[in-house]
Amino acid sequence: MSGLTRSPWVIHYDASSCNGCDIEVLASLTPGFDVERFGIINTGNPKHADIFLVTGSVNQPNRDVVRSIYEQMPEPRVVMALGICATSGGIFRECYNVAGGVDTVIPVDVYVPGCAVRPEAIIDGVVMALGILEKRRLRLRQDAQATSGDLRIERATAEDIPEILTIQKIAYRSEAEIYADQSLPPLQQSLAEITHDYERMVFFKGVINGKIVASVRGYDNGQGTAHLLRLSVHPYFQGRGYGQRLVAAIEQSFPACRRFEIFTGHRSERNQHLYGKLGYARFKSEPFNPQVEWVYMEKQRS
Amino acid sequence: MNSWGHVLIRVLIYLVAAPLLGGLLAGIDRRISARMQSRVGPPLLQPFYDVAKLWSKEPIVVRRSQNFYIIFFFLLTVFTGGLFFCGSDLLLVFFALTLSGIFFILGAYKASSPYSFVGASRELIQVMAYEPIVLLTAVGLYMATGTFQVDAIWGGAFHPLKALPGAHIPVLLLPGVFVALLYAMEIKFRKSPFDLAASHHAHQELVRGITTEFSGPTLAMIEVAHWYENVMLLGWIFLFFGSCWPAGLIACAVTYFLLLVVDNVCARVKWPVMLRSAWGMTLVFGFGNIVVLSLLK
Amino acid sequence: MGLIPLLIAVPFLIGLALLLITRDCIRKPVVAAGVLAVMAGSVLLAALPSISPNLFQLPLLQGVVNRELANRAMLIVEGAISLYLIWVGLRSSQWQKWLIPLLVVGQAALLLPLELGGGHHPAVAQNLFCDKFSIIMALIIGIVGGLICLYALGYMREFHESHHPEMPDRRNRFFAILFIFLGAMYGVVFANNLFWLYFFWEITTLSSFWLIGYKGNDESRRNARRALVMNLAGGLGFAAAIYWQVRSGHPASLDAMIASGAAVALLPAALLAFAGITKSAQLPFSSWLLGAMVAPTPVSALLHSSTMVNAGVYLVLRMSPILRDTTAGLLVASVGALTFLATSLVAITASDAKKVLAYSTIANLGLIVLCGGIGTPAAVWAGVLLIVFHAIAKGLLFLCVGVIEHKLHSRDINDMSGLILKMPRLSIMLQIGMAGMFLAPFGMLISKWAVLKAVVDAQPLLSFFIVFGSAATLFFWVKWMGVLLEVTQPHANVERNIGRGEWVALYALAGLTFGTCMLFPLLSSFLIVPYVKAQYHLADFSVMGQGNVIIMIIMLALVSLFPLSFLHYGRHVKVVDPYLGGANTGQGNQFTGSAGAVHGMSMQNYYLSAMLPEAKLMLAGVVLAGLLLAGLLLGVALV
Repeated sequence: MSGLTRSPWVIHYDASSCNGCDIEVLASLTPGFDVERFGIINTGNPKHADIFLVTGSVNQPNRDVVRSIYEQMPEPRVVMALGICATSGGIFRECYNVAGGVDTVIPVDVYVPGCAVRPEAIIDGVVMALGILEKRRLRLRQDAQATSGDLRIERATAEDIPEILTIQKIAYRSEAEIYADQSLPPLQQSLAEITHDYERMVFFKGVINGKIVASVRGYDNGQGTAHLLRLSVHPYFQGRGYGQRLVAAIEQSFPACRRFEIFTGHRSERNQHLYGKLGYARFKSEPFNPQVEWVYMEKQRS
Repeated sequence: MNSWGHVLIRVLIYLVAAPLLGGLLAGIDRRISARMQSRVGPPLLQPFYDVAKLWSKEPIVVRRSQNFYIIFFFLLTVFTGGLFFCGSDLLLVFFALTLSGIFFILGAYKASSPYSFVGASRELIQVMAYEPIVLLTAVGLYMATGTFQVDAIWGGAFHPLKALPGAHIPVLLLPGVFVALLYAMEIKFRKSPFDLAASHHAHQELVRGITTEFSGPTLAMIEVAHWYENVMLLGWIFLFFGSCWPAGLIACAVTYFLLLVVDNVCARVKWPVMLRSAWGMTLVFGFGNIVVLSLLK
Repeated sequence: MGLIPLLIAVPFLIGLALLLITRDCIRKPVVAAGVLAVMAGSVLLAALPSISPNLFQLPLLQGVVNRELANRAMLIVEGAISLYLIWVGLRSSQWQKWLIPLLVVGQAALLLPLELGGGHHPAVAQNLFCDKFSIIMALIIGIVGGLICLYALGYMREFHESHHPEMPDRRNRFFAILFIFLGAMYGVVFANNLFWLYFFWEITTLSSFWLIGYKGNDESRRNARRALVMNLAGGLGFAAAIYWQVRSGHPASLDAMIASGAAVALLPAALLAFAGITKSAQLPFSSWLLGAMVAPTPVSALLHSSTMVNAGVYLVLRMSPILRDTTAGLLVASVGALTFLATSLVAITASDAKKVLAYSTIANLGLIVLCGGIGTPAAVWAGVLLIVFHAIAKGLLFLCVGVIEHKLHSRDINDMSGLILKMPRLSIMLQIGMAGMFLAPFGMLISKWAVLKAVVDAQPLLSFFIVFGSAATLFFWVKWMGVLLEVTQPHANVERNIGRGEWVALYALAGLTFGTCMLFPLLSSFLIVPYVKAQYHLADFSVMGQGNVIIMIIMLALVSLFPLSFLHYGRHVKVVDPYLGGANTGQGNQFTGSAGAVHGMSMQNYYLSAMLPEAKLMLAGVVLAGLLLAGLLLGVALV
């Protein structure tokens, strides 16, 4: 074990919690639980912290704060969502001023449910986080040449699938908001379904400091056309060109195909703009349900 | 005694042993503190794990040059300790320590964040609070032993006041200076009630004060520098016992324990209280002692 | 004509010539040539290995100038000055109306009979002399003073053209006085005859009076008169010292005084130390130096930090063999120590850069006076070293502040935040100067080490003032350095349109600050140690052991590695925002407050003004120092 796993320093932030979880976090510091036994210190300073504990669903003013604290933590770092509100938005999920769970703002590594979350569960979660921290540290050391924060794009493996599903569901929340429709397929997909997808499709993932932040999948229809779908980038990392790089990478992996096809909703202007930039042009559209119409776009390999 | 080889060996021993000892002390410190709060506390080697962890973290800064100051803070602190343990001039040791402290403060100023700025300002007040008694320590030891050379004081070499009973142990001539220095030690060790610039404990109004903007390897360097410094500070206590080293060792242990007790039973004070009381102690006990000593002469 | 009379006379002549030159394009080469001349002369004086006091004895001077003639000329000039000062006094208001003429008349009443009496008093064998101390002072006057004159060329142009267009351009008079002042300073440090010394002394007082009042507004005139009154009071002490020395049948010369020792010369020595204390603006006379800060910055640098105020401590240090181990010496030392402590504490509360520098100047002069009062060889060694380091570093600091004031239109320290971006080179020089003022292993700290050692050996109780004063010194310098370094938002570089003369002076002084520290062992062994040995008739003398010198040099080497770290600037680090509780806006130090409002922030230092009330502290200092000096003068009167 390295020093990292013996000395996880945490920073705790309440993103709009009812304070139930906060009290439990602080309770873990008391003599009854004494997390300092494990070298855990509550630093109150992102620059010193390894683990970011967030309680409560994230309301709108706190989006920037949570991002800012996350940004100021040095790698390797791990984010833990404590309590049911932080993991999914909880009972505040549909609230007008709530963005959702923590993972709608920054990538989350460990979800600890509970209302309120128990100190034992917190400590258990931290132990889980330690494994992730250690993995990430080794990963960072491996690609010491690459500067930290660089996106690495590679083929996903079977064990990445649950994480990719998480990213997909986070990324497609904004789509659901556009159409006010939670029934969009990417949001409804189950682990069994995506595992089935994995058996017949090529999955690509975008990784930053050991954390999957984006993915795309695609398959060859056997007639020279590759269908690409479910391009997802975590909201925190959107607008950095990662989507373009992923699509370019997956296109490369179908050398036999001359034509590429991709589809999105008719009101998803950002997506259409992105695909347009990549050389895709609209060629047909068909209704999916009364609210949503799929727009199909294609591109010929030059 | 003072051959170059001899000095070199002492410096080497210091360079290796001081951080080990300092880290261990910090571990003992945290464990005893935990026990005082009826907790179990971290493992004894926890400070070493912390530093190893920090060393493996990514370097982040606010201002690109802020870490340079810390590197020199580290180098100068180590250098100061080296000066002290190879037995050179006590005044120079104090001046060099001040220099290293100033690099630390300037680094925090450079980081330009409000928390580190306030931390730096408070650290500066702390330096101003303990500087007089530190210098008076040198003056007192000089009056008691006739020399500024650490080596000679340890050796108990020369005492102009030999006629006085107990003159071979400086602390017997300098009880006031010693008491005032103990008071200043509470500041130097960054313990409550004087942990104004940077507290060991979280959730204070200053975040982490002077170290707020330093992270990863730089923070590790600051920690190790403090280990070096703490060992040297205990060396100062030791110095008061001249050649009587068993008493010196016991005094160091008792002092450290005392600092811990005070740390655990006191709440942090505001800076004016610290400055006034530290200067008051210096004036009454430290300078009073000097006055008495000069009358005895 | 010998080198020394030339050194005194040439600046006077250049000064008179400059009075007639009103065009800047002619003034420039003349000033530059004059500066080169004084620098070359001073360096030559120091460098000639064959120098011995004999070389400059009377015959050399007499060959050209008739000694009697010189005395007569001085008498006439002195008389003219006295009449002028009486006229100045009569034109001023209230109490000064009486005080100034009274002081002038008092001096004249003491000295005129002696001077007119001619042969009645023992003749002075040598009017001028030259030892290592004089050479050190001459080097300071020539090099530091010369550089400041060079700087003044560009500074005064900008002063008149951009900043004070409403003021009449009297630059010809300004530069004339600067050079006359330089000549007078050479006179002060080379004069052996007390009458001559007194003559040059009065000229420096007069120059200071003129230059403080240069701006011509009410404030500057008022401050100029205050400076005049206090310096004239010192002059009265000086005159009394001469009167006593002559009346008691001893030659009125420095070497005779020092040779006769404390038993004979203690009384005039105490009076001369009193004169020195006024000139060096020690408490209770400190207020004139603070008032003198209204003058243009080159004046503050030249007269009020690097040279003229040094004349005061020069005299005190000259007297130290006599003052050693006497009550008078202890009183003088106490005044110095008290001044050091009080002004260092008060400097914490000041945010005006020039005021901080002024307080720090007074404080450092206090330390030197302390050395002079203690008067042991080690103390004198430390005192001379302090003069050297202080003159260079403080000159540099004043010149930097002058440029900064012109560019930022403020000399408030709080406005210097981010200076490292606004004026990178100047802020680095400012840092060097400050490091030179208080940081180990730079110059002042070497001296402070020696002072503390000397004090503990001689008078341990005075260490009280030093330990607390040093702590305060550290505080106000470091907080200033911090402000220069911190950067909260991007700034444009405004370091433009700074004249070549100004850069030359700044670079040279910054280099000297560093160089004198590097070469301080040489400075010590070639100039200061021989002086101390000769003065105290010691066969063997050393303050600092070789080991300590080596440690200092290692430290200096270590610190000079610091700039090298900037080669690594910005590599392998990720830059993030400062921690603002997560409320960052991504724009420097702005944060989002409640209801989404964006706030900026600024950071201010501690000034501790509630704990250290400036007026009360200074008053206490003035009263205490006044009592000490009253004791000194009372002692004199009783004897």
